[in-house]
Amino acid sequence: MAEARPQTRRFRDLLEDRRFLAPALITPAALFIVLLVGAPLVLAVYLSMTDATAGQLTGKFIWFHNFTEAWHNDNFRRALRNTIVFTLASQAIVLVGAGILAHALVRPFRGRWFLRLLILLPWAAPVAVSTIGFLWIFDSQFSVVNWTLVHDLMPGGGHFYLYRPVNWVLGGIDHLPWVHVGKIDRLNPPQWLGQPTLAMLAIIFVQAWRILPFATVIFIAGLSSIPTEVHDAAKVDGATGLRKFWHVTLPLQLPIATVALLFGIVFTATDMTVVYILTSGGPFNSTHMLTTWAYQTGVVSSNLGEGAAISLYLLPVLLVVSVLMLLFARRVEVS
Amino acid sequence: MAENDDELEELGISTSLTRRQLVRRGLGGFLVAYAGALPKVAAAGVPKYVHKHYKNTLKIIQWSHFVPAYDVWFDKTYTKNWGAKHDTDVQVDHIALAQLPARAQAEVAAQSGHDIFGHLSPQAGLEDQVINHKEIIQEVTRKVGKVSQVGFKSCYNPKTRKWHGFPENYVPDPIHFRKDLWNQVGIKPSTWDDVRRAAPKLKALGHPVGLGMSNELDSNMLLIALMQCFGAFIQNAQARPAINSKHTIEALKMMRDIYKRGMTNEVFAWTAASNNQGYLSGRLSLAVNAISIIRSAEDANPALAQNTSVAPIPRGPVQRLGLEHVMGVYTIWKFSKQKTLAKRFIADLEMNYQGAFKNSKFYNFPAFRGAVHDYARQLAADPHKGKYNVLDLIARKYTVNLGYPGFSNAAVDEIFNTWLVPQMFAQVAQGKMTPADAASAALHEFKPIFAKWRGRGKI
Amino acid sequence: MWSTLRERGVSYLIVGPFAIVLAFPFYWMLVTAFKTNGDLYNLDNVPFTYHPSQAAVGEKLSFQHDHWLPFGFENATTSHITFIFSDTNYLRWVENTAVVGGLVVVITLLLAVPAGYSLARLSGRWGQSVGVGIFLTYLVPPTLLFLPLSRVISKLGLQDRLWSLVLVYPSFTIPFATWLLMGFFRTIPAELEDAALIDGCSRLKALARVIFPISIPGILTVVIFSFSLCVNEFVYAITFISGTKQHTISAGVPTDLIRGDVYFWQSLMAATLIPSILLALLYNSFLDRFIAGFTGGAFR
Repeated sequence: MAEARPQTRRFRDLLEDRRFLAPALITPAALFIVLLVGAPLVLAVYLSMTDATAGQLTGKFIWFHNFTEAWHNDNFRRALRNTIVFTLASQAIVLVGAGILAHALVRPFRGRWFLRLLILLPWAAPVAVSTIGFLWIFDSQFSVVNWTLVHDLMPGGGHFYLYRPVNWVLGGIDHLPWVHVGKIDRLNPPQWLGQPTLAMLAIIFVQAWRILPFATVIFIAGLSSIPTEVHDAAKVDGATGLRKFWHVTLPLQLPIATVALLFGIVFTATDMTVVYILTSGGPFNSTHMLTTWAYQTGVVSSNLGEGAAISLYLLPVLLVVSVLMLLFARRVEVS
Repeated sequence: MAENDDELEELGISTSLTRRQLVRRGLGGFLVAYAGALPKVAAAGVPKYVHKHYKNTLKIIQWSHFVPAYDVWFDKTYTKNWGAKHDTDVQVDHIALAQLPARAQAEVAAQSGHDIFGHLSPQAGLEDQVINHKEIIQEVTRKVGKVSQVGFKSCYNPKTRKWHGFPENYVPDPIHFRKDLWNQVGIKPSTWDDVRRAAPKLKALGHPVGLGMSNELDSNMLLIALMQCFGAFIQNAQARPAINSKHTIEALKMMRDIYKRGMTNEVFAWTAASNNQGYLSGRLSLAVNAISIIRSAEDANPALAQNTSVAPIPRGPVQRLGLEHVMGVYTIWKFSKQKTLAKRFIADLEMNYQGAFKNSKFYNFPAFRGAVHDYARQLAADPHKGKYNVLDLIARKYTVNLGYPGFSNAAVDEIFNTWLVPQMFAQVAQGKMTPADAASAALHEFKPIFAKWRGRGKI
Repeated sequence: MWSTLRERGVSYLIVGPFAIVLAFPFYWMLVTAFKTNGDLYNLDNVPFTYHPSQAAVGEKLSFQHDHWLPFGFENATTSHITFIFSDTNYLRWVENTAVVGGLVVVITLLLAVPAGYSLARLSGRWGQSVGVGIFLTYLVPPTLLFLPLSRVISKLGLQDRLWSLVLVYPSFTIPFATWLLMGFFRTIPAELEDAALIDGCSRLKALARVIFPISIPGILTVVIFSFSLCVNEFVYAITFISGTKQHTISAGVPTDLIRGDVYFWQSLMAATLIPSILLALLYNSFLDRFIAGFTGGAFR
């Protein structure tokens, strides 16, 4: 008799607690976000519907003129396409790479600490300065990539030119139906930042390079936080190796993987630094993303209203992507 | 976590643990020391000046000069001396060239920032945010004489009758060429036709000419100057777009020829530093650039500097006319609380430009010609035996403002900032468009830009 | 025994190439940082070794007489590396970056841990919408937000002060941290918590005693990520702060080491390497800590 009452009282406390506790815990964070991001966002929306220029935060109201203006510009459409390609390509590389790498890294082996250090480097480096480093690596005259491809790597003994086997592979790829790649000319090596396709590849590479460690760490953390009971249960059930991976590890990792992919997509699509530093949108505006094109229009050309409109175009796209992924994540949640 | 360490040791994974522990402890110690310092540094915020307490404060921001010694002279000597005389603490901040527009707009948006903003090109677009600099112009004119045409047409808006900036200095844009190599092919780069003839020969020697067609400052200036030599202009004197002319087509053809016979496609991928670096490596035989190239060579490769000549831009069929490489323009925001003091500072700097001229190693030429005495003697006194004498000629006769024959205005600025001219040239050179098509496509792009700024009453 | 050997081999085979591709640019930066100008700008020289060249003004060939050094190192110079310490405020930039990062991490944890927990466990339908709402703040790029934010910062009197960054950075670390923690909290089975509740703890006590220790990996991950987001941020750092003594690394390096069209490549490389290696060591030791706690158990 005496037991029952404290039980019900505790349960009621619980319910009370929950209704009060939940908002109390979220409010500080939400408030911070609303004030520091919401207010400027509203201002940005306002600006996108005016003809504001040169840093002025006011202008004449012109409704959706900026949005239609922007859409009619070839550069804008190309920027939109580039943003999608850039995001999907780099994140695909990151997802696959990080998934594989994380699994290989959770097991202990000799030298793991050091190899992990090497792997963490791209993400530890501040992106603004590491991308400047890549400017030099891809330089039009002094590129070390080109140097390695074109020069004799074993002078003295047998001669070995790296561009020869690379050309052999490229020749093979040329046989595929829709693809046309040229060959590497020894006297005129590829301009990594000067030819539209190569520039795009270079940008995708640099972004994937720097996000890979980040995603790997998320995956490792996810793998590590799978409680041991789950692994033991799996063993009891007789699941090992690939079966275990497919039926146990992968589903458990899915929420984390989805979060990682989602943030990877968001960080890549809204990132300006890599493209801005490597190519500034060149050559011929062929590598502009929405972010750099918005910056060019809004800040460099002083058309602030139009720039705001361009950067707001990202919103619906990312919104759709996020909502889809969140729905997916909720469905595969661990119960 | 201690239990886990023991467990691991039991499992035999103990060897590398000591090293890891060491690193961890070292990092831990560092972090603890750090955490101790955190509150102190966080509370300090902006360091207050430790020296004298002056009545006023004047804040200036400008680019990091490529001659580091200039910044040292300006920050530590000139401004300190001026500040002592005027009971002012002058604070100078520097910013990278590429970040100037972002910072300027941020200050406008914030309605607070530096009293004096040093741009590297006339900022017609910011006209509404800055004061009318007429007073400073008048004061300096009284003391040292009239402002040069370059300065006048860069910073004055005839439509609104406002000086939207104070032209402090401009940088002449000569060509640098390897006289040993050009002697070898027996040609001098005095006309563009000479360059076209020499280009394939120099390329065969392994030393091509370096004329960029990329989205960067050097290419922009070079190509617009090339157009001018052919009588082609972005706008006419009435600020109407005038790009679609037969002169433009000639200029496009010339550049296409030079590219096809004498250069490789690296010129489409250049940054502002590429022609410097290509020339310094000994590879390029011609570059159009401010004297940063030869000054760097004097430091890093004196033999190369010996073999380098500095000359005016080659003559085209119509004329020989170049552009300023950059123009130092000081602006004072409307929201500044130290307008009088700022005007005083700028006027004083310009009237006694001798120091700046010398300390920038002749990079900065004053926009008021009278501000420096006896150019010829000073240039000749440079230890490098008369190499720089020609700069005076270039600055006087062969340098005009961006937007010549009209005034520099917001439309020209926008065209310049969005690299429309290099793109036009690049597309023709790569065979993507015929010259005629490219010129008319450019006109098609320019017209709405001009219309927009005209609509805002700025042209 | 074979299976462990095979496992090890597979590990090396997978991790090795990744490590090479990811770390190669840093090796390259290390080599370049010691090069003299004459050596660096010579197209005929092998980029991976050092070659004799005329020393430029200010370059000291300190190893000139040590011909036993490999890779031609006697032709290398350390003056470009010492340049960043003697001629720029580099150490202050590092200090500023660390301070800002540290403070932001603390703020982020204080706000995001409760929020993440709440969203994972306590909220019903409306919680999801709030969660999504918090997330949506990422969708507008900072490339234009910096202008209205400049106004906010100046109204608060924080222009040119590091506090402006401390105030603004959590706006992009908190959403991410909240989501990550939400994900982590969700993978913890509710049974563990319920067990604690039944034993008589209040919710908050359960959070502290039971959930918190288990989610240390998640929390450490959040620390690492928030710190790295702060270190990487560049647009706000450049526009809110203009004094060179108050710059962070991302703002200071492009300002002082790129002057017009002259890039100080060797110094740039050194300036990149130093924080990268330090941060990689820091992150690696954090990773160490929570993996050591779990691999022992999970993969026995």
